[in-house]
Amino acid sequence: MKLLYQDLLRFLNEKPSKEVLSDKLFQLGHEHEIHGDIFDMELTPNRGDCLSLIGLARDLNVFFGTSDTIDIYKDNIENLDIDFENLATEDCSKISFLEIEVKKISTDYRPYLENYFSTLGNNKTNFFTDISNYISYELGQPTHCFNRDSINSKFLLENKELNSIFKTLLGTEISLEGKNCVFSMNNEVISLAGVMGGATTACNFDTRSVLVECAYFNPESIIGKSVKYNLTSDAAHKFERGVDIEAQDKVLRRFIKIVQDHAVIESIKIKSFIAKEYQDISIPINVAKINNILGTQLNESKYLSYIEKLGFETSSTIKVPSYRSDIKTQNDLAEEIARVIGYDNIASTPINLERKINNSKTDKVTLIESLLVANGFSEVINFPFTSIKEKSSIAIDNPLDSNRESFRISIKESLISNLLYNERRQKDSIKLFEISDIYTKSPDLEQKKVLGIIISGRLANDHINFSKKLDQKYLDQLLNENLDNEYFKVIEIPRSNLNTKKKDRIFYVEVALDDIPELFFSSLDETVNKPVNFVKYIPTSEFPSSARDFSFSITNLSKVKEVIEILENTSDSIIKDSFLFDFYKDTNKNLVKIGYRFIFQSHKKTLSDTEVNKKLEQILSPILKLDGVIIPGL
Amino acid sequence: MSTLDSIQPPKINIDKGTRHPINQTKDYLIKLLTDTGFKEVHGPEIETEEFNFDMLNIKKSHPARQMHDTFYVEGKEGVLRTHTSPVQIRSMLKTTPPLAFTSAGKVYRKDDDSTHLPMFHQVEGIYVDENVNFANLKDLIHKILHNLFGNDVEIRFRPSYFPFTEPSAEVDILSDSGKWLEILGCGIVNPIVLENCKIDSNKYSGLAFGLGVERIAMLKYGVNDIREFYKSNLDFLAQFK
Repeated sequence: MKLLYQDLLRFLNEKPSKEVLSDKLFQLGHEHEIHGDIFDMELTPNRGDCLSLIGLARDLNVFFGTSDTIDIYKDNIENLDIDFENLATEDCSKISFLEIEVKKISTDYRPYLENYFSTLGNNKTNFFTDISNYISYELGQPTHCFNRDSINSKFLLENKELNSIFKTLLGTEISLEGKNCVFSMNNEVISLAGVMGGATTACNFDTRSVLVECAYFNPESIIGKSVKYNLTSDAAHKFERGVDIEAQDKVLRRFIKIVQDHAVIESIKIKSFIAKEYQDISIPINVAKINNILGTQLNESKYLSYIEKLGFETSSTIKVPSYRSDIKTQNDLAEEIARVIGYDNIASTPINLERKINNSKTDKVTLIESLLVANGFSEVINFPFTSIKEKSSIAIDNPLDSNRESFRISIKESLISNLLYNERRQKDSIKLFEISDIYTKSPDLEQKKVLGIIISGRLANDHINFSKKLDQKYLDQLLNENLDNEYFKVIEIPRSNLNTKKKDRIFYVEVALDDIPELFFSSLDETVNKPVNFVKYIPTSEFPSSARDFSFSITNLSKVKEVIEILENTSDSIIKDSFLFDFYKDTNKNLVKIGYRFIFQSHKKTLSDTEVNKKLEQILSPILKLDGVIIPGL
Repeated sequence: MSTLDSIQPPKINIDKGTRHPINQTKDYLIKLLTDTGFKEVHGPEIETEEFNFDMLNIKKSHPARQMHDTFYVEGKEGVLRTHTSPVQIRSMLKTTPPLAFTSAGKVYRKDDDSTHLPMFHQVEGIYVDENVNFANLKDLIHKILHNLFGNDVEIRFRPSYFPFTEPSAEVDILSDSGKWLEILGCGIVNPIVLENCKIDSNKYSGLAFGLGVERIAMLKYGVNDIREFYKSNLDFLAQFK
């Protein structure tokens, strides 16, 4: 909700600066941003009463004072004879109608009304609708204006099953489905109650006679309708959060007054339909309870003075104002007091929880994670949604899209996808795992914690393992070696169905943790459960990398160590990785051969060959100056 | 004079993998809380509406229960839990105060854009005993945030609204850039929730709080885009060894 600073000041006795006002709004829990003189409010859903100038002023009364300066029509109003029936009293316990006819409308709006449009950027529609919108801003109560001439027979408020097209006053056609609370006439929907009026009964520029509807709709009857039908509705926003059930007379009298400010009124008539009278809510005065909840030491008179300034009436009990539908208990009142005192002004008091010594064995998850991380595996976390629908899959009723209609029953597809993603990023040694709860129905809901492991590519980037491939044997040795059975069943995933040109074989294991024997865990150590080191992350590059391999031939054996040291100590912003992948002692020629790989990647751009070669020259030049060190063919 | 025999190949350093930074952060928070005296408890990700909403005083009319906010499964037989709070409910039903539980895990909301994901992680805590009050809650929250962000961090409590706590608060810390950053939600357990769990709310009161693990991980590691955590990019993951 956007409001103009000067508009709010009209309702406050003191005139705080924007900064002071902002501080107090935050203290009261009303988040906002300030753009010039406009406060863009983001109110919590329980404070529908603050979605207006008068609502916020009431809350700010405790700091700045407020007085009800709203000018309303005070004379008696003739009774309206209207053919209306409320068949939805559970959804709307109180509804009023004001019939008003004018003969001449001023083309200029008074400043208070004009500012609402010109300063806050709201669009003018027509005279009566403009007043309706302004009143919602000022008092928080939505009203709807029917063109009086269009209401020419009995009309109803009803909540019924519908399957029909409804054209809104904005011209949008929506398909009404399921139960909806609507106004109808001659069996046709003329307004989606509490959300938006219809085109057939809408006011226009020439309208001179209106029927203003002002109602209390039960939030539960309105909630979700605007989202369901994709309608942006200030009225629905307010009804969903609760409006003041006792405000209708004042709101309609204010409506008349604003009309009177701008037009010559021919006639006004009013009629209220009350299905159920509002019952006051009273809460016992119990300052001790408030202090117990907050940890404060407030005396009763101070407590009551705060409460009264927030609009509560006090006698032998505390009477809750009709606009505060969020207040029912002592805890609710405690929050009111905390807001007034300021949460940050309530002193902290330590608690001493009994610390329990954790004697429990390290859990299975930690032990497996330790084993895998120590062996170069990286843990991933995947979303559980999938397009794969199995008989035992849990179906999502309202998926984000058709590719995410089911809960996965296996981690395999997720890990294959992770593997292919990293292959596309030029990774050639991939070892991933995920541990996740998996849910199935068979037919009852079943939950199990599952480990998935996937491998492909080189065994490792070192001179022993560079030319070897990750395979079934590797996983068997890691997982099954000391077991009496093949509890970890390694399978090969064929590449034929995968969108990839890579040839490296893919192996996969999936097992429920409960199916792994204790014997396996008893041989494991918790090696990675070290304190978390929150290192500062450097964003990864999205530019391609470029690998260059070099084979050094070293005949001066005293230089071998130096060459390796130079290579391993080389670093640069564009060197992403480097490692020694070959070490060979040629006894026939009495020399050592070293294979070394540099992988270049920039965070800023795709590196050109020239840039890579220039960097390589800097790296290789001191090495090649060493006696007896050459790169054959260079 | 070096000979071929005297030259040793370089030692192989086994390249370690990495635990996921979200799980590292989650475990850090759980350790912090269990060291404080909270007991870790677990619960299912597929929940009933009763435990995910009703028992937590989230009324049928609450926007969070709408199909556009919550994933429902199997013809509304269940929901993907929208928070870890139902774990606290299940645990409270099994015991009597004093109690102090913490739970962590995946939660789901029907969101998917540049700053919101349909799945993320929460860590929550609840403490119920006689005379637990808002001043106690503040002290505990200060200790948690001092542990995470240092003793000099500036902390702000703001009134907020959660159906399961009353009073409710959101807590911000002041960032180096001078901006307040929302860190966690907390409050005094709504007596209705205690009564739902067969706990006498006239005798006992409680405090509760919840943190978004991704939020903490982003701040602690300096990751600006939440989606990075779920790309499974080895270049990304390798930084959290």
